[in-house]
Amino acid sequence: MNWILKRGLLAILTIYIVVTITFFLVRLMPGNVVDMLVITYMRDYGMSREDAYAMVKLLLDIEPSKPIWQQYLDYIWSLLHGDFGRTMSSGGTIPVMQPIVAALPWTIFILSLSTTISFLLGVGLGMLMAYRRGGLFDTGASTFASIVYAVPNYIMALFLLFALAIQIPAFPPRGSYDVSITPGFNLPFISSVLYHAFLPMMTYVITSMGGWMLAMRSNTIRVLGEDYVIAAEARGLKDRRVAMTYVGRNAILPLFTTLAINLGYMFGGSVLIETYFGYSGIGMVMGLAMSYRDYPLIQGTFIILVTAVIVSNFIADLLYGKLDPRVKLGE
Amino acid sequence: MSTPLIETIHASKIFEVRKGLLGVKKHIRAVDDISLNIGENEIVALVGESGCGKSTLGRLMLALLKPDEGQVKFRGEDVWSLRGEEFREFRRNAQLIPQDPYSTLNPMKKVISALYPQLLKYKIASNRSEARKMSAELLEMVGLSPPEDFLNRYPCRLSGGQMQRISIARALSVNPSFIVADEAVSMLDASLRIEILDILLNLRKKFSTAYLFITHDLAIARYFAAGERIAIMYLGNIVEVGDTEEVIQNPMHPYTKALIMSVPVPDPKLAKERGLPPLRSLEIPSLVDLPSGCKFHTRCPYAEKICEEKTPELREVKNRLVACHLY
Amino acid sequence: MERKTNRSIVRIILSVARAWIYEPLTLLATDKRAVAGFIIVLFYVGLAVIGPMVVPLNLTPNLESAYLPPSLEHPLGTDPWGRDIFAQLVHGAPDMLIVAFLAGLITVLVGTVVGIFSGYSGGTVDLIVMTITDIVLTIPGFPLLMVIAAFLIGSGIEVNIFMAAALLSITSWAGLARSVRSQILSIKREPYIEVSQTLGLGKLHIIFSEIMPNILPYIVMNLILSMIGALYSYVGLMALGLLPYRPGNWGAMMHMAMAVSGTVTGVGSWYVLAPAAAVTILQIGLVLFSNGIDKIFNPRLREK
Repeated sequence: MNWILKRGLLAILTIYIVVTITFFLVRLMPGNVVDMLVITYMRDYGMSREDAYAMVKLLLDIEPSKPIWQQYLDYIWSLLHGDFGRTMSSGGTIPVMQPIVAALPWTIFILSLSTTISFLLGVGLGMLMAYRRGGLFDTGASTFASIVYAVPNYIMALFLLFALAIQIPAFPPRGSYDVSITPGFNLPFISSVLYHAFLPMMTYVITSMGGWMLAMRSNTIRVLGEDYVIAAEARGLKDRRVAMTYVGRNAILPLFTTLAINLGYMFGGSVLIETYFGYSGIGMVMGLAMSYRDYPLIQGTFIILVTAVIVSNFIADLLYGKLDPRVKLGE
Repeated sequence: MSTPLIETIHASKIFEVRKGLLGVKKHIRAVDDISLNIGENEIVALVGESGCGKSTLGRLMLALLKPDEGQVKFRGEDVWSLRGEEFREFRRNAQLIPQDPYSTLNPMKKVISALYPQLLKYKIASNRSEARKMSAELLEMVGLSPPEDFLNRYPCRLSGGQMQRISIARALSVNPSFIVADEAVSMLDASLRIEILDILLNLRKKFSTAYLFITHDLAIARYFAAGERIAIMYLGNIVEVGDTEEVIQNPMHPYTKALIMSVPVPDPKLAKERGLPPLRSLEIPSLVDLPSGCKFHTRCPYAEKICEEKTPELREVKNRLVACHLY
Repeated sequence: MERKTNRSIVRIILSVARAWIYEPLTLLATDKRAVAGFIIVLFYVGLAVIGPMVVPLNLTPNLESAYLPPSLEHPLGTDPWGRDIFAQLVHGAPDMLIVAFLAGLITVLVGTVVGIFSGYSGGTVDLIVMTITDIVLTIPGFPLLMVIAAFLIGSGIEVNIFMAAALLSITSWAGLARSVRSQILSIKREPYIEVSQTLGLGKLHIIFSEIMPNILPYIVMNLILSMIGALYSYVGLMALGLLPYRPGNWGAMMHMAMAVSGTVTGVGSWYVLAPAAAVTILQIGLVLFSNGIDKIFNPRLREK
């Protein structure tokens, strides 16, 4: 119980710090960011300096006249109410939350599926590699794992896009679903979604599984050498049972802590990956926000993205807590 | 009587244990009001079961741990009040031979690196080549020959016995007047033990070193401390101190008696004749939840009401120190 | 007298060369993949050092030769402005390697110092420093970098190589700090450290002479891994256009490629795929090389 509390508090503290960092990011470079935007507004929209300044203040949610601690409290207050301000590229009409809420589910869908698949594949293969250590399969699989681990995930996206969507048009190069189909719980829509999600998912799965494979392999090798495993085998327990309950369980446990890091990696790459695939998830929204220098939107997507990672991290910690008896007994 | 070399005066070491962030704080008196002295060139064997606090007492004497109560004195001076040059002199004179031969040497450094840094530091050798020569001599002394074979090796290429010899050479390299050997042979093969003990005894004659020889094995203690003193420890207290052979032949404290009777006898007939040690209970009380009065009263076959109420003092009885209400 | 000194200097050089070059290389040679990795990395370093001197870079646009496929004259084809892609890659290599290496170095330095300080101090200091480290560890690094870079470029601040390297290390030090600290905690309890204390060898000696050799393998390993991470972030940021443009920078080339014509569609694909492949091969080389590094620094593994 103790331990969950600690991790939970840490998660909240981390989110809080991220939120604070974003706050100061805009204000620490106020002179330049604000001025450049004012100039842009004056030039592009023909506004007067006062109007442009007022506009920028409204959009960036800055009130330079107020003392900074007051600005900070206002900021936290509006965040807690879900008010992330309004997007600049819409001229202040569309609230930041809107595109985020529309896009987030798509990313969560793809990432959770990809994580599950890559984890299961990676862990399964890793264990197999450990059991057949030194053989041809192990050497080949290890080399494969090292290579896909090394390839940056956004570059894998480019390669897959080029190979499987352009050269061989096996998969659609853009979009999260075929726009001619009406969304809903019908078969054409769902199959279209899966068809369009295939390449991005393949990107995440291939680039993530390498790490799992190698980690699981080394963990399993270590566990196989432990006394309690040898004792179990000596007692005559069936190999399969030993593998599943003794070896597998103990080898997997440390990997849960890396689940969070991996998730961070996937979310990080999602900006480029979704942009390349034209997949309308939160990554693409963030990418667009950055190319348009839409600061409120950048801030909003960043906070939501990081919160998603931290929350997933916490869930992974909970899972780990449930599975590791040493933690359950309240160390 | 001359000033003892090392002396603890009513020294105690208390460890705090707490379960979790919000648990209850408990105190473990690993060393409880112990006054023990060791004279120049003297051997005192410290015997007791695991967890009785022997290692902690050893570390108190080496000033690796600070006593929470009482004092530790070196040649009459409180160790913790020494500064600068005087403290450095104490340090040079108090060395340790640890228990586990496999972690007593730094696995990433060559054997010679266990010997020469202190030779240079204390200016026992004036330059590196002299230090190297002296290191070789030290290895010869502990029976590692030819020394050049060993100087450049890494610990992973050494056997347990070899590593323990290097550990001894290291302790002796600065010519200390006092060495704490903490279960120094417990993790070695039985066949090696006597050999290592003999090396220690021979070198003691050469360097005039005093020893606190910590062990749980009475037979080893009897061999090493023959003609010297033995001290028996139980749950943080010293219960009996005296001449080694006399204590073993005529134990006075009930715990000592039980300990001696517990030493396995190879002859099954004799063992059967002897029977079980006279104990009321085989369970050792936890250090966190100590019995009142005399800590041994829960197991002592001679326990009386006073044993539950009052802690016995270590008193001199017939050339021995015993902590028991029987005397 | 002089001849004697000369001979001993030669002997010293030979023994150093043997311990630091010959021995490690022979150890490395036992692992074929590590050798491959080493060769790849060496190739890139050579390319970065010699390449720019040998291969001329012509950045003036020549639209007649735009989008040419690979040929003898243009080994990797030309970009949308008719400029040689291979030359751009070669001239961008030093920048990539220097930034990656610097970022890795900063990461490792900060991580080690924090880890040693926290582990050796213990107590409350350790608790505070580790909580901060945990928080930094949980924050996803690349998104944070993206946001900071977006703000930097929007505010027109000049970002030079050192700033970029420091920026890239902003969260990556936490992992090493944590693992160094736990190493220190377990080493602190080892008997040979206790004996170092009784021998009076002093804190500095204990940290640098006794503890360091034990954590050096982790540190060197982490240097390579940090370089891999830094390269990922650096190219990623460039590919998003979030760092100031540098000609020949591989990420910048990818950015330009996507900006100009969505180049993956056939005609201009070399412009985006060449730098992508360049980064990928370097990463693969680094990963394979890192697998072999452990053996060199860990005498215990040598017995296998």
